[in-house]
Amino acid sequence: MSRREFLRRGGATLVAAGAATGGALWLYDPTGKAGLRQPSPQRLPNYFATVDYPVSAPRISIARGGALDPQTVEKMVRAAVGGLNGGPGLSRFIRKGDVVLLKPNVGFERAPQFAATTNPDVVRAVIRLCREAGASRVLVADNPIEAAPNCFARSGIQDAAQREGARVLIPANVHFTPLAIREPNPDGTPYRPDPARHEALGTWPVFWEPLREANKVIGIPIIKDHNLCYASMGLKNWYGLLGGRRNQFHQAIHDIISDLGLMLSPTLTIVDGTRVMMRNGPTGGSLSDVKDGNTVVAGVDPLACDAWCYENLLERDPAALRYLDLAQAKFGEQEAGPRSYAEAGRFGTRHWTDYRNRGLIVETVVRSGE
Amino acid sequence: MRITTVRILVQTVMFGLFLAFVLLTTFTHLNDWPSAKWVVSKFLEVDPLVGIATAITTHTVYRGLLWGLVILIPTLFLGRIFCNWICPFGIFHHFIGWVFNRRNTKEKIDSNRYRPLFALKYYILVGFLAAAVFGCLQIGLLDPIVFLYRAFTIGVLPVANMPTQSLFGDYHMHANAWVVGSLFLFFVSMNWVIPRFFCRAVCPLGALLGVLSRYAFWRIDRDPDKCVNCDLCLQSCEGASDPHKQLRMAECFVCFNCIEDCPHEALRFAFLPSRRQEIRSPDIGRRHAVFAALVGALFFGWTKAGGKSTQDFSSKVIRPPGSVEEQEFLARCIKCAQCIRVCPTNVLQPALFESGAEGLWTPILNFRMGACQHQCTACGHVCPTGAIQRITVEEKLGLGAFEAVGPIRLGTAHFDLGRCLPWSKNISCVVCEEVCPVSPKAIHCEYRQMLVRDGKKLVRAATATALTLVDSPAPGQAVGAPCTFRPGEFKGDASLSYHVQVYRAGGLVRTYPIADNDADTLVVDGVMDPVPPAAAVAAIHVQLKVPKIDTEHCIGCGLCELECPVVGDRRAVYVTAEGETRSMSYSERARNRSLRLTRTADAGRAVEENPRRPGSGEMPDPRSLLS
Repeated sequence: MSRREFLRRGGATLVAAGAATGGALWLYDPTGKAGLRQPSPQRLPNYFATVDYPVSAPRISIARGGALDPQTVEKMVRAAVGGLNGGPGLSRFIRKGDVVLLKPNVGFERAPQFAATTNPDVVRAVIRLCREAGASRVLVADNPIEAAPNCFARSGIQDAAQREGARVLIPANVHFTPLAIREPNPDGTPYRPDPARHEALGTWPVFWEPLREANKVIGIPIIKDHNLCYASMGLKNWYGLLGGRRNQFHQAIHDIISDLGLMLSPTLTIVDGTRVMMRNGPTGGSLSDVKDGNTVVAGVDPLACDAWCYENLLERDPAALRYLDLAQAKFGEQEAGPRSYAEAGRFGTRHWTDYRNRGLIVETVVRSGE
Repeated sequence: MRITTVRILVQTVMFGLFLAFVLLTTFTHLNDWPSAKWVVSKFLEVDPLVGIATAITTHTVYRGLLWGLVILIPTLFLGRIFCNWICPFGIFHHFIGWVFNRRNTKEKIDSNRYRPLFALKYYILVGFLAAAVFGCLQIGLLDPIVFLYRAFTIGVLPVANMPTQSLFGDYHMHANAWVVGSLFLFFVSMNWVIPRFFCRAVCPLGALLGVLSRYAFWRIDRDPDKCVNCDLCLQSCEGASDPHKQLRMAECFVCFNCIEDCPHEALRFAFLPSRRQEIRSPDIGRRHAVFAALVGALFFGWTKAGGKSTQDFSSKVIRPPGSVEEQEFLARCIKCAQCIRVCPTNVLQPALFESGAEGLWTPILNFRMGACQHQCTACGHVCPTGAIQRITVEEKLGLGAFEAVGPIRLGTAHFDLGRCLPWSKNISCVVCEEVCPVSPKAIHCEYRQMLVRDGKKLVRAATATALTLVDSPAPGQAVGAPCTFRPGEFKGDASLSYHVQVYRAGGLVRTYPIADNDADTLVVDGVMDPVPPAAAVAAIHVQLKVPKIDTEHCIGCGLCELECPVVGDRRAVYVTAEGETRSMSYSERARNRSLRLTRTADAGRAVEENPRRPGSGEMPDPRSLLS
């Protein structure tokens, strides 16, 4: 063997041995715990915190109309939102360049008249408002119980969104990421929810793809009867962002719905009360389950919004709605001290009548047709 | 332009069309482009073997299968042009052989000589058709178009979808994807051993077209005066049809390679050339053909003797909405998997032997994968053979004109009470009621009271609103130990509440709701009158909603099973085929599987509209037959 050949082979051997050793050390798991690693969860910002909202401005704005044609519905939406905005439009909530996620309820494959899903005319009007306020992109997303493409198609929401240039996100498994709903423990381990304190969510996979991009989130729930939790409204609407085997929480449904209020503080809630499913919810399926509500409610206080709708649209006593109690308690627990917006970062009271007494509810009546 | 260049262009277009059709066969695409549903199964419809075999089993030619004439008639004139110009599986083999070729010219010539093995496909065809005569449709196992649709839907596209989920959504999951995929891989790999092995030796469609080529007006013809017997015409011969001597008409794919390869221009595509230069019939022996037919008949016998589609039918065999009755279904389903591909929820799965050997790869619903989407009828619209009828949403759900007939039921849901949380574990749940999509809901609830663990106590002292309790005395004790409840344990919440039943002398029971409790005292909601005496038995019950099924309204969609939080392989609520409307038709064989679970008369409309023999007379009112 020549010297040159010896050096060449020796060098190659050394490089190979070095690469193997380096690679092994780079991947080395001395404690053997790598198999227990969890992906680090995402956190959600408070989507209301960036809104410069005066404490003295109305908290709930109600618009009523006399018909359900698209023009009247759009007028209702504009009137309801305008009541909070202090004038037409959405300028107080949406700034130029914002990426807005709209979360309607598209939970089932039903045509709009069955009131199991948000009225597409309401969604259309909100998209237009966002566009007019300068939003650069509008996303529409939900993770329905039934097959998502069918639900979006049948509800008319896909069509409404696409015609208005909004992007519909159909959920796929890869779109879900764990979200830390509550702060992790001081040592960094995930918080384990305590059922005795009515906590259901610690860290849980959510439909992250739309949340990843959006910096504003508007909930557009429909209001309807629900066999387990009595009513599906604004707080319950966030259930549609959860992934995993989320239905296992139904054994503690009031716990989880109140947790959902903690999970996401929306920029704005716009409740579709144009049609209201009064019974056989949340699926319905018969026109006899539905009454015309002819109402759109916008609010910056999700709890008060739900309480108002439950009493005035579903015509039931909100004192019996346990998840509102729990949510209010949790809002208080999270943010000790008086629940003014300035301190808590969100409005949250189930006593909508307080707002009425303080003159923080505005009502508008919209004339039908054109 | 050379004729082979034209052929390559046509092949590219044809394979591209096939791929486009398969990719388009999804709910989303057919919803966006509704007219696409008329073309996505077109390759299956033009396949004359599908048309002929289903005509044998059903005595009808279903809708689009008339398109088979578009292939069948030109074959009578031109020979097997389908195999090398149109068939996407043939094109795929051709392409693979070209890309991976490592043979030199001599080896190529030898690999393209005719072998006796290539007669196998005729026996396969005869066997399949013989089974079809008895109503057992098996051509789909090896028909190239069906095979390729199935291989792409189950074996190829889900895998291709894995790295692209963020763009195209979740990939479909199929338990036996590896079997379907491996078979595909096997036939593709066989090109290394024998070029176009599948087309030459296995393909029953090729065999059928080979038989039909017998009287072709045009064929490749060799001029013996110009031929120098160099055999170069064999080097690219796709069909192994011996163009260098007497042409085997049944084997020639009309690819025109031999004409191009001949250095002496001895070959041409000629109109009615001399009969001495051709071998017209396939190379099969009559006795062997009879034997193949017997094997086919025997296979039919075995499938029926298995009883899995009749007496011993599996209640897991739940067919897609609009499916015809099971025997008719098996006579129609070619196992192409188009329904499986289009299904938006992944609930449709290729069967193994759940419906017997003949039911291999036919679609069945697996409610752990999905549920039958309430207002979706996509599967019937892509089914090329009418095994799943084209139904409307109104027909599926029994709305509008179909109200009197009622909805199509795929089966019926049942509860496994031992696994159901509220029924057996005192845990409130009823997700099944929540998701039940029919109105009124087929799953409904009643409140039931069930004794809590160690719930039987004795009253030690009582007031009108409170009971202080002790345990039952242990043997040898005079007085039981004081109770040690967790304070507030029986307060209940919105989903469940607690009650105490007080047994009085004479067995009378009064029940009071519990408002609150501490370690040994229950505060009842209301006033107890009369106040229970000491030593009365007090039994603490939990009251919660338990779900029940109203079979009158259940359509067997499986959403309850899919969503049941008891997620193991046997859900607490599950759907079986019993009660399916397609078995409610009039024939004895359908009736063998039927179980009436509703009190009202109803019959599967899909079956009714699809009588096996047209013109068999007026259909009687379904209700008159169901009493």
